[in-house]
Amino acid sequence: MNEERYILFGQYLENELSEEGKITFEKQLVEDQEFASDFEIFKELNLHLENKFGNEKELNAFKKNLKSASKKHFKTKKSKVIAFKQWQFAIAASVVILFGLFFLLQNQNPSFEDYDNPENAYFTERGDVNENLKSAQDAFNSKNYKVAIPHFEAVLKENKSPEIQYFYAVSLLEDNQFQKAETNLLELKSGTSIYNNKATWYLALSKLKQKDYKSCKEILLTIPDDFEDYEQVQELLNELE
Amino acid sequence: MSKTTIHPDQIYIDGLANNDSAIIQSIYKKFVPKVVSYIRNNSGDEDQAQDVIQEIMILLFNQAKAKKLQLTCPFDAYFFLLCKRKWLNEIKKSSNKGVTIDDDLPSSNEPTEEMVAETEVFDEKQKLFDLMFLKLGDKCQELLKLSFTIKSMEEVAEKLNVTYGYVRKKKSLCIGKLTQWIQETNRFKSLKIT
Repeated sequence: MNEERYILFGQYLENELSEEGKITFEKQLVEDQEFASDFEIFKELNLHLENKFGNEKELNAFKKNLKSASKKHFKTKKSKVIAFKQWQFAIAASVVILFGLFFLLQNQNPSFEDYDNPENAYFTERGDVNENLKSAQDAFNSKNYKVAIPHFEAVLKENKSPEIQYFYAVSLLEDNQFQKAETNLLELKSGTSIYNNKATWYLALSKLKQKDYKSCKEILLTIPDDFEDYEQVQELLNELE
Repeated sequence: MSKTTIHPDQIYIDGLANNDSAIIQSIYKKFVPKVVSYIRNNSGDEDQAQDVIQEIMILLFNQAKAKKLQLTCPFDAYFFLLCKRKWLNEIKKSSNKGVTIDDDLPSSNEPTEEMVAETEVFDEKQKLFDLMFLKLGDKCQELLKLSFTIKSMEEVAEKLNVTYGYVRKKKSLCIGKLTQWIQETNRFKSLKIT
């Protein structure tokens, strides 16, 4: 290998040659074809490596972005395609079997998580300035119950309403503060607001979460069948049988 | 590269180089469906189309980043022809499958074909360079990788626990070795160096 030649190429590209050296170099580029073609490749390699390693992070970011765009595009298109292929059937069947096994192996008792789907809170409207209420609502809706609790407490101190108390109690339950949650739910249950059935339902769920199935069932039986989520009540009752 | 005017569709190339999500999405929306239906009509399926498209986009990103991509034809035709040729190549590679290729060439469009040829040469070269790079010894690979990522030669020298002068010299010699191999490769002889 012509070591000196390549060292010279490097020096020229890094602009390390003297004026004189540069002139000699460029003269040779014109006169010596083999020298010139060697230099061309050397220069291209230099550029290639510069791109390859210099842009590595950017390339990875691009690939990631591309993948998600591709996924998005093909997913929306795919939903129109109903035809299942054989291997897709195999996968679907395995999934069904796995699910079956999962449920078989699972404890027969229903779990709190199966029934726990708190509705979103919408207390504040545009122009409303109650900071605590807004923070409580946002934290609650993003399931940050630990954060929501102190905000609810601040709101309730000023202005106690069944609605706020209900969401506060649900937050407490989500955060496993059973006693406090139940105190509030019981208070709502004995009240006359539209939240009393909901509170009863959550009281039952609180028992469920604590795996006190007997009390759960007893409470469920007290919920009237005109309760908006009565289907859930019945489902849970059936599971508890 | 001839100095023709740059087509307004250069925005797609620049968008890819800047990893612009809106541009990427609009490429999918506007130009990808045509490619997908071509591949599906020519013994392929949607997953295969997806792969071909992603590979071409990555190639365009790399070429644009190397500042070697100036569009002189509509993006639509250029992109389609690239994907199509890539797909036909893939079929050729696994041709023992006995496929039927519906190969009706689009009306011969010179600037488009020129652009496609340029991109394909770029692709070939990149692959060759990468292949050669992997043939280098570990020391050369590490030194080159570091010196092109870190940029400051002093830092590279420190990291490798050698002198600055050594790094400078070694870098040139490692690239020199690659240069020599490429000169010797027949494959490269068939490619024009711009």
